[in-house]
Amino acid sequence: MLMIGGLGAQSGPMTSWWAPGQGTPLPAFASYGNEHGAAGLFNASGVIETKGHPFFEAIGTNGRACVTCHQPSDAMALSVQSIRARWAATRGQDPLFAAVDGMNCPGLPADEAQSHSLLLERGLFRIALPWPPQRADGTPIDPEFTIEVVRDPTGCNTDPIYGLHSATPTISVFRRPRPVANTKYTTHQNFGVGPFVGKNGMPAATDPDTGRPTSMNLMADARASTLAVQARDAAKNHLQVAGALTAAQVDGIVAFEKQVYAAQVESATAGSLVEPDGPPAFGPRNLAAGEAGVLGNNTTRYVFPMAGKWTTLPRTSSSDANARNAARESIARGHDVFMFRTFWIKDSMHLNTVGLGNPAKRTCSTCHGMHMTGMDTANGWMDIGSTNLPWASEVPLNPWTTAKAQMPLFRVTCKPNVAPHPFLGRVIYTQDPGRALISGLCNDVGTIVMEQFRGLSARAPYFSNGSASSLRELVDFYDRRYAIGFSEGEKQDLVNFLSSL
Amino acid sequence: MATRIIRRRVALLVACLVARSAVAAAAGDSLNFVSCPIVRDTASVPCWLAEYEGELYFLTIQSDVSAPVTPPWLGHRVLVEGVLSAEPRICGGVVLKPVHLSVLPEQDASCNVMLPAESKYNLTFEPPRPPGPSAGRLAFDAASAAPPSPAPTTGPRDFVISYDFDGLVGFSHARVLTEILDYARAVNAGEIVITGYRGAVRLSNGQTMMEDEAIGKRRAEQLAMLLRGANLTSPSYSVRSQDDTARATGINDYLTRRVVVTVRPR
Repeated sequence: MLMIGGLGAQSGPMTSWWAPGQGTPLPAFASYGNEHGAAGLFNASGVIETKGHPFFEAIGTNGRACVTCHQPSDAMALSVQSIRARWAATRGQDPLFAAVDGMNCPGLPADEAQSHSLLLERGLFRIALPWPPQRADGTPIDPEFTIEVVRDPTGCNTDPIYGLHSATPTISVFRRPRPVANTKYTTHQNFGVGPFVGKNGMPAATDPDTGRPTSMNLMADARASTLAVQARDAAKNHLQVAGALTAAQVDGIVAFEKQVYAAQVESATAGSLVEPDGPPAFGPRNLAAGEAGVLGNNTTRYVFPMAGKWTTLPRTSSSDANARNAARESIARGHDVFMFRTFWIKDSMHLNTVGLGNPAKRTCSTCHGMHMTGMDTANGWMDIGSTNLPWASEVPLNPWTTAKAQMPLFRVTCKPNVAPHPFLGRVIYTQDPGRALISGLCNDVGTIVMEQFRGLSARAPYFSNGSASSLRELVDFYDRRYAIGFSEGEKQDLVNFLSSL
Repeated sequence: MATRIIRRRVALLVACLVARSAVAAAAGDSLNFVSCPIVRDTASVPCWLAEYEGELYFLTIQSDVSAPVTPPWLGHRVLVEGVLSAEPRICGGVVLKPVHLSVLPEQDASCNVMLPAESKYNLTFEPPRPPGPSAGRLAFDAASAAPPSPAPTTGPRDFVISYDFDGLVGFSHARVLTEILDYARAVNAGEIVITGYRGAVRLSNGQTMMEDEAIGKRRAEQLAMLLRGANLTSPSYSVRSQDDTARATGINDYLTRRVVVTVRPR
């Protein structure tokens, strides 16, 4: 780990893994090396004393803390690289690998890597959700569809204790942890937030403390309406807290999450991303200063404002400077691909159905339009095919391979009294029904709340099911999904741009 | 692109259409038909067209979520309820204005025609929104920001919610639902009466297209569910449905597909 400059920064080598109860202060600013350079972490309220802090202490029964899965070195999320390193360092004894969700299914042999294969190979934790779906008050929802388990490589969905047909019917899906940083953007009360969801007219989830509608951009399925609700959910289901968090614990966690910002600060090829006269898109301090919950898919504000920087840079006699400038120009070109390169967006639920038509000729920034994060401004669940067939990544089966499917597969059948899914029909095969496991709506099958684009270099793999192991694979997925036809140069420029965020 | 661009077929079709110079109906006439939508690329935003009885009609262009008329979907047929306009053709199609488009719920894989751009069909006007970032406002900002029509602020008030054919609440309804909610809260509503209507369309070929028999009831029940779901639980709800299919005449039949919500103060 690198620890560089800034108020309260520390210096000297530290292990990059932040263990629960470690007790060392978290600097106001720190940077941590990664494959593409370094990501920075900025605490707007200054140095965080972690001793006794509910985010950093093991407050549950399984030895985990919030920080276990939201590591400062990983842009407050968790890379599969860190997971594997932790497995190797502790021989699988770290609380990270707790049976409740760090194992393919509880009850498997704890010390065998195979029992944790989805976590070790794709960075996925088990998310156990009740079936049928339940409202926030626990009352059941009558879903618009039936669901069957077609394939169950983890064994959990057909397990007599944990499965769909157990005494407490449960569906296990497997998802990546999301960054707990830049949360003023994920919880804003600005554009698009209202009592009814702009995408489908359904009632928006409200803040239980204030009664106000929320932006519903937290978690892959928006099941937690606020940071406090998410903290309680995570404490119960991931930390296995006995009872419930105290109000003081919730307040402490939320207060920390509201002030921490994460973004890439250094590019391995383009050098510093946060020079004083550099593009204002980059670095956690610019995120802290940015306006939350506003549209950036325009030429007056931009999703990631470059301020015209780095478009054309001089060449000198220094080959190092020339290489750096070439890398910066590539980042600027990648930005332009993101903003202006049109392609046909087709058959994507909650994008093509919201007034643009199917197909719509648009750009990446159409969906990824929130200023500074590239999220949707509100109610950001969409189906781009990352979990639904035929687009989801599947292991090719043939007589010449021993590879086996890792992900579960469900067959969802929309009931006769509802309209079929407009693009997938009445029967849908999916690795993860996504938002539909919360809403019970047929049209929500496979819709996933889009993630913020910040700190990407620190937290591979990507997509909620970890199906893109690198930024290049992520770009390739879109290229295939929407038949974009990116040139090799466009792909590389996009990767360089994304890796700088 | 998964959807095939059927160049040869389309070239033949366009040739036939150009040969047919006369439009049978006159400007101002209503034209109601069901057809596959066709998308034509341009140098800017795509146009949406549909063919009916050998003629090509212009439906709309792509803009953004604020558009009063939103494009249909490939993979589905579309019910077109329009009025013939005397405007010059757009993208090669006779202009229907106003026009109401209903994407029909069932999939139809045969609706898959995408036409490539041809310079002669490029738009002759600046579209309200380019096919990418805006200039800082929604395409129809002014229209969407317009104040609602004058309405009582204390007494009973009716809200009319329009629907696509056989449709339920969708993305375009959040605004009117919010207006109902705000009004009900403002006047401390004691009763909410919801009447869902089943409509019909008299098509230009003489047939009448009826909505699903239960759609009026489903619309009314869904509205009540949504308002209750938004925590509007204190008023009493009266939910009813009515068949309005007999009103279909071929002119403005889209008005028959509706729910009327009456908010009565306590």
